[in-house]
Amino acid sequence: MKDYTVEVTENKKIADGLYELTFASTDCGFEGLHCGKFLHMEVPGKLLRRPFCLYKFSETSISVAYAVVGDGTRNMTFLKRGDRLKVTLPLGNGWNLEEKHKKIVLLGGGVGCAPLAYVPVSYPNRKYYAYLGFADKSKVAFEHEFALRSEKVVCTTDNGSYGVKGFPTQALEKDLKEINPDAILVCGPRPMLKAAARFSLEHNIPAYASTEERMGCGVGACLVCACAVKQKDSGTVMKRACADGPVFGLEELIL
Amino acid sequence: MNTKVSIAGVEFKNPVITASGTFGFGTEYEKFYDISVLGGICTKGVTREKRNGNPSPRIAETPSGMLNAVGLQNPGVDRFVEEDMPFLEKKNLVTIVNIAGSCEDDYLYVAERVNETNAQMVEMNISCPNVKAGGMAFGIKPESVFKITQQVRKVCKKPLIVKLSPNVSDITENARAAQDGGADAVSLINTLTGMAIDRFARKPVLANVTGGLSGPCVKPIALRMVSQVYNSIEIPIIGLGGIMTAADVLEFMIAGATAVQVGSANIFDPMAAFNIVNELTKEMECCKISDVNEIIGSLILP
Repeated sequence: MKDYTVEVTENKKIADGLYELTFASTDCGFEGLHCGKFLHMEVPGKLLRRPFCLYKFSETSISVAYAVVGDGTRNMTFLKRGDRLKVTLPLGNGWNLEEKHKKIVLLGGGVGCAPLAYVPVSYPNRKYYAYLGFADKSKVAFEHEFALRSEKVVCTTDNGSYGVKGFPTQALEKDLKEINPDAILVCGPRPMLKAAARFSLEHNIPAYASTEERMGCGVGACLVCACAVKQKDSGTVMKRACADGPVFGLEELIL
Repeated sequence: MNTKVSIAGVEFKNPVITASGTFGFGTEYEKFYDISVLGGICTKGVTREKRNGNPSPRIAETPSGMLNAVGLQNPGVDRFVEEDMPFLEKKNLVTIVNIAGSCEDDYLYVAERVNETNAQMVEMNISCPNVKAGGMAFGIKPESVFKITQQVRKVCKKPLIVKLSPNVSDITENARAAQDGGADAVSLINTLTGMAIDRFARKPVLANVTGGLSGPCVKPIALRMVSQVYNSIEIPIIGLGGIMTAADVLEFMIAGATAVQVGSANIFDPMAAFNIVNELTKEMECCKISDVNEIIGSLILP
C-alpha cells in the first residue's frame, strides 16, 4: 500500500445517480492491484477519505464506480479532468479464488456490481455467470463489462422495467442447479448477502462477500469499520473491514 | 535547530507524538514510513480484558471534524504485552502506553503489567466519552481525578500522564487534581461529546448515539484549555486537539504545551504525522525559532 497523488482523467455518469471516476498516477505506476481490493480517496470539501473498491484497473489507470448517496459523493461529481487527489492503495484482501473454483457466480446489487467486474480479468480461463440487480432501468450499469467475460449475464430490475423482473437472487436460485458453481462471490445489500449465505448452505457452495462499513483510516489502525465475525472457538470477534476484509467468507459473517 | 523536548526526564527527539486510538500500535503506519521519525507514539487504549467495542457505525464526518465511538476495542493488556509491545520496543521513539479500565482495580492491573515492559511512559485515559463504565466517569469530578491518579501513581513505575476530558465545568481544577495526585504530566484535550443525526431516518448516525468530536473544529477549544491549564499547574502539558500542520504544533507550544499529539490527522491522511515532523523545522525557521523549548508558554497576552 502506498499514498499516491493521482490525476483525474475522466468522471462520467453511467446511470442515474451512478458515476465512473478514472484517474492516472502522476509519478510511478500502480502496484499490487487485484480484483476486490479497494482504495481510500480524498474527496473535495471533506476531511475523511472515502473507500471505493477497484472497478477497472491497469498499472497506469484505475476506475472506481460510485453512487451519489451523501455530501461526499455529491462533491465527487464535480471532479473534472486534471484535478489532483491523494489516494491510498491498494487496500484490503480482495477476492481470492482457489484453483478448484472453475465455475463462478458473480452476484451484485447496484453499485455493488463494480467490485466483481474485474474478477474474470484477474482470474481468466474460468467460467463466470453474472447476476446483476438494479432498482429500475435508469439505474442499470456495468452489464457490458460482465458480458465481455461471462458465459451468462442476467440483469434484473425490481419493477421489471429492464431485464428480468425481481431480484437477482431469485433469478440465480432458479439457475443454481444447472450451473452447479464452485463458488459464489457477492457484493450488495444485506438481504442479498443473506440469500447468498442460504444458497451456500443449502447447496454446499463456498461463498464470499465484499462488505461495506463506514471507514476511518482505511489502513487498520482506528478500528472504526468493525464487522462481527464468528470464530470456531472464541465466539464473536470484531474484524476490520479495511485490513482483515473487505472480503469475508459468508459462513463467518454475522448478518 | 533544536526540536528535542523532555517530559519527566524522558527525552523526545521532536515534540510530535501520535495520539491514542488513531495510530493502533504503530504497525499499520510503519507500512507507509519508518515511525522512528516520530517523537513518540501513544498506543491505542489498553484494558485488563479484551474488548469488542461498540456496534457499527462508529464514525461520522461532521463540519471540519469527525465523531467516533469505537468504545476501547483492544486485545487486552496481556496480548498487547506479548504481541504488540515487542515491535514498539525495537523502534527508536518514546512509547507511551494508554491505559483504561472500568474500575480502579482495572487501572492498577494494567499499570502493573505495563511496568514489566520497556515502555517509557503511561498515559491514563480517564476521559473516554464512549464507554459506559469507567472511562470518563473517573475524569469528571476533580476528587475522582485526584483519587485515581494517586492510586495508579502508587503502582506505576513509569512517568504518568493523565489525559483530561474537556467535558467538564473547569478543566484547570481537574488538571490541578491530577498534579496533586502525583501525575508527572497532563495531556489535553480528549474528544468533546457530540452527536450527528440522519434527518431522513430521524436516527443518530452513530450506533452508540453519541461520540467524541475531534479534528480541526476542536482546535480553538483545545488551545484555550491548554493556555488556561498552563497558567494553573507546574507539571508539563501535552497538547492535542485538531492538529493538522507544523504551524498548529507551534501554536500549541506557545499556548503552553511541551509536546503535542497528532490524532485525527492520521485518520484523514496516513502520512500526516510524518509530514508534520518533516515540516516542523521549516515552520520554525519561518517563525524565527531556533529551539522549540524557547516558545513553550510564550504567549503574549494583551
